[in-house]
Amino acid sequence: MKYQKFDVILNRYYTLIIFLIPALTVFTLFVVLPIVEAAYYSFYRWNGYGDPEKFVGFKNYTYLFRNRVFIISLKNNFYIIALSLFVQLPFALLVALMISDKIKGATFFRTIFFLPYILAEIGAGLIWAYIYDGNYGLVATIWGFFGIDPIFMVGDKDLALIAILIVIFWKYFGIHMMIYIAGLQAISKEVLEAAKVDGAGPFTTAWRIKIPILLPTIRLSVFLAILGSLQLFDIIMPLTGGGPSNVTHSMVTYLYYFGVMRMKFGFGSAVGVVIFLICFSIAIAYQRTLMRND
Amino acid sequence: MEKDKVNETESTVNVEVFNFYREGIIMKLFLKIFIFSFALLSFSSANAVTIKWLHLNAENSPNMPGILKAVAEYEAKTGNKVELQYLENESFKAKLPTMLQSNDRPDVFYSWSGGVMYDQARAGFLRDITGVVSDDYLSTLSAAAANAFTFEGQRVGIPTHVAQVAWWYNKNLINQAGVDVSKIVYWVDLLEAVKQIKSAGITPICLGGKDKWPVHFIWTHLHIRNGGQDLFLESLNNGGWGRPEYVKSGEQMLELVALEPFQDGYLAATWPDQAGLFGDGKCAMALMGNWMYGSQAANSASGEGLADDNMGMFNMPATKGGLGDPGDTLGGINGWLFSSSAPDEAVELIMHYVSKEIQSEDAANGVYIPVVKGADTSIKNRFLKQVARNIANSKYHQIFYDQFLGADIGRVVNDVSTDLAAGIISPEEATAQVQESWEFNQ
Amino acid sequence: MKDSMRTYYMYLFLFLMAAAIFIPLYVSVMGGFKTVGELRTNALGLPSNWNFDNYLSVLLNSKFWLYLWNSVIYAIGTTFFVLLFASMTAFVFAHVKFAGNRFLYNYFLLGLLFPFATAILPLFLRVRDFGLLGTSWAVILPQIAFGLGFAIILFRGFFKQMPSELFDAAFVDGCTYAQFYFRFTLPLSTPILATVSVITLTGSWNNYLLPLIMINDESLYSWPMGIMVFRSEYFTDWSKVLAYVSLTLVPAIIFFLVLQKYIIAGLTGGTVKG
Repeated sequence: MKYQKFDVILNRYYTLIIFLIPALTVFTLFVVLPIVEAAYYSFYRWNGYGDPEKFVGFKNYTYLFRNRVFIISLKNNFYIIALSLFVQLPFALLVALMISDKIKGATFFRTIFFLPYILAEIGAGLIWAYIYDGNYGLVATIWGFFGIDPIFMVGDKDLALIAILIVIFWKYFGIHMMIYIAGLQAISKEVLEAAKVDGAGPFTTAWRIKIPILLPTIRLSVFLAILGSLQLFDIIMPLTGGGPSNVTHSMVTYLYYFGVMRMKFGFGSAVGVVIFLICFSIAIAYQRTLMRND
Repeated sequence: MEKDKVNETESTVNVEVFNFYREGIIMKLFLKIFIFSFALLSFSSANAVTIKWLHLNAENSPNMPGILKAVAEYEAKTGNKVELQYLENESFKAKLPTMLQSNDRPDVFYSWSGGVMYDQARAGFLRDITGVVSDDYLSTLSAAAANAFTFEGQRVGIPTHVAQVAWWYNKNLINQAGVDVSKIVYWVDLLEAVKQIKSAGITPICLGGKDKWPVHFIWTHLHIRNGGQDLFLESLNNGGWGRPEYVKSGEQMLELVALEPFQDGYLAATWPDQAGLFGDGKCAMALMGNWMYGSQAANSASGEGLADDNMGMFNMPATKGGLGDPGDTLGGINGWLFSSSAPDEAVELIMHYVSKEIQSEDAANGVYIPVVKGADTSIKNRFLKQVARNIANSKYHQIFYDQFLGADIGRVVNDVSTDLAAGIISPEEATAQVQESWEFNQ
Repeated sequence: MKDSMRTYYMYLFLFLMAAAIFIPLYVSVMGGFKTVGELRTNALGLPSNWNFDNYLSVLLNSKFWLYLWNSVIYAIGTTFFVLLFASMTAFVFAHVKFAGNRFLYNYFLLGLLFPFATAILPLFLRVRDFGLLGTSWAVILPQIAFGLGFAIILFRGFFKQMPSELFDAAFVDGCTYAQFYFRFTLPLSTPILATVSVITLTGSWNNYLLPLIMINDESLYSWPMGIMVFRSEYFTDWSKVLAYVSLTLVPAIIFFLVLQKYIIAGLTGGTVKG
């Protein structure tokens, strides 16, 4: 530390306090405290009315881990993470590299790719329900073209998850694209100029220069993608509601369906706590290994 | 001269003081009048009560004219004010627990009675209105309907209408398949009819599998036929949902499923899809509540649906050896509940709404099947008439399982019914899950 | 030669993707022009009759504009405070060395690890106990709280990328942290400010559950709650719903177009001057 003068130290602490307090207060009051309370509720059986009264200890948790549907939802979440990391993010990066420069129509493409993210979940769910409709939707038209009987993807136990994965990709890859674009914009022009002067073509520039500089952003985006996948809820509910036969539940839709909608708020809280712990462990592991220096 | 000045000043002061004094009196008088009239006003408005009435009807819903009329008449009669509030179905259900605990909770709100109502009553969120509802008024309501809105001896609500689930059918398609509906007396007859319809190349049954609740009608109606009221009450109070009568329902349902009677992709179809398909004439039958009449038209491609004389209704057939009576019905009893802080005036408002005059008018317009005795004679729609008759004659009118058993067990019933329809669980597993859920909720 | 081929393939790829992405949105917008029945039978094609009623009835309904305005208030209120609080906090994490830096940063990350659905009831009780129920703050404050985690991560990442020479130079000149923040960090952070804005605005704009729980007064409804108008117990007017949802896309698109200019404006001239 170079500047040890007294007023600098004072400045530092003064800054600390002023700058941190607003966020800290709001966050603690409206996020942390509810989490703690939810953990408390998880030890009760509570239908949401009045105060929780029936203490059941760890029963909610033991029931949870024995529950077939929860195990399915765990698996589904990992499929979604896999989709995110190995399909969605590379795509987003590719597209970001293509359109972050001032090419013609960059704005047009960016807007189109980002639109799905802006669309409200109810709109997205409804639209894709039509698309997947075996009687009248797009899927039906395509199959009809090939002369096959329509397949009802959303009603099919084996295909429903794939249907959902497609929609997830469609809706969320735009936001990762935007994050990469912002990151690419931050790369200083001098470096790029230098590369050009050295005769590097677009592929080389991308592979050797842009991506390495972008690595912190990429690591960040991966982290957010993983956490986001674990929290996925809004898009599944209107599309399949977790069905058919509970095969497309994510952990959060499971929470909402088996906890909140059934007025079992204690159980729902237990699920929430478990999701939290899973995310927490992943976050810690991630920080220890990949983001050590970030 | 100075003296004069002083005198002048004195007298000026005197005049001013006097003026001031005089003004003071006038001011005080004004003040008194003001306070008096204010008191008068606030006294009369202190007597005027504002009632918050939360309902689930969109602006253009056929229920609204009756409600608006009741409000206008009541406000004119009593000088109280009514504040109408609207939430749609799913939002309402999502918001219920938090809403009832907030400070501006409604005084009156909609209810399907059953388990959710019991939860609310147990938690102390409902008001006991036994004292406010006179015996005279009570005698104007159908006893069964009024009783549905009691909990442990306390009256907590007032019913508005009843509904019944039956097999709706498309006459043209049925005739095409050569089926005679009057010959369907037992469940096996229904299965035969389904086979016949299917071999005629027609989809026998429309089903909204994605929404699940349409599916649970089939399974639970079989329960009613196989087990009857006593067994149901026994199971409700003491458990034993795995009893053989209920397992039999699952087996019978699987017999139906094995015939592949539903439309393609039925597990992905929603209730509006089901109604629309029926209205488009894409299937021969559908097991649905009497609201199918309006919905099949509204959801159809043409907006018109099937013509009145092309539709028919028959009750769920009996099962051989079933303990239930073939006249037993499955359906709903819906009405209004009062939150714990509701004033007496709120109850009076609803008593005014659920009265012979308004109910007769609504019945005549085909809005719902009324609960006030004698109002059903005004029903013109022949389907609603049939339903009213069925319910009036029924000794055991079971409220939809998914409402009656409460949010948790109710949804389990929906889930296992749909799993049965998908052919992925056994009848024993289905009843076992219901039993498990029942135990969890004791 | 190779260059233009590459460009050609790139454009082809982008166009195909754009088409695939766009179809669902096209279905939505077109759906507003169809009748409910036609929606089921002709989801993809052009409407057989261009039914303007649905769009018109939404646009002419004063409630639509009221709900839209409320959503704008919630969105802007949330975004403003998120930008302010999160950037200040991230600034401290990025530049100020103090004990507990890492710990506090991870503390904020907690917000990302917890599903919102679980917090509904405790959050409701908290807001109620503060007497904020039924006010705009009931929606804005929780949204700020839940948006902070994501925003802080993004800001901190960006701030760390900024060259440290700038910082040292300013310090030599006796610049305080606060001055540095206002004079250098913020102006140079337009891309990340815009990105966080877009994310926060969109999140708030589409939020359905939170306002539903917190708001009882119809005059404070957000636009997703307005969809209720088109639904009743047994029937949902899907073509009106689609028209309505399509119309609400417009402000969101406007937000985005305005902000994405800033994301792309970039750091022309660079921060490192020689």
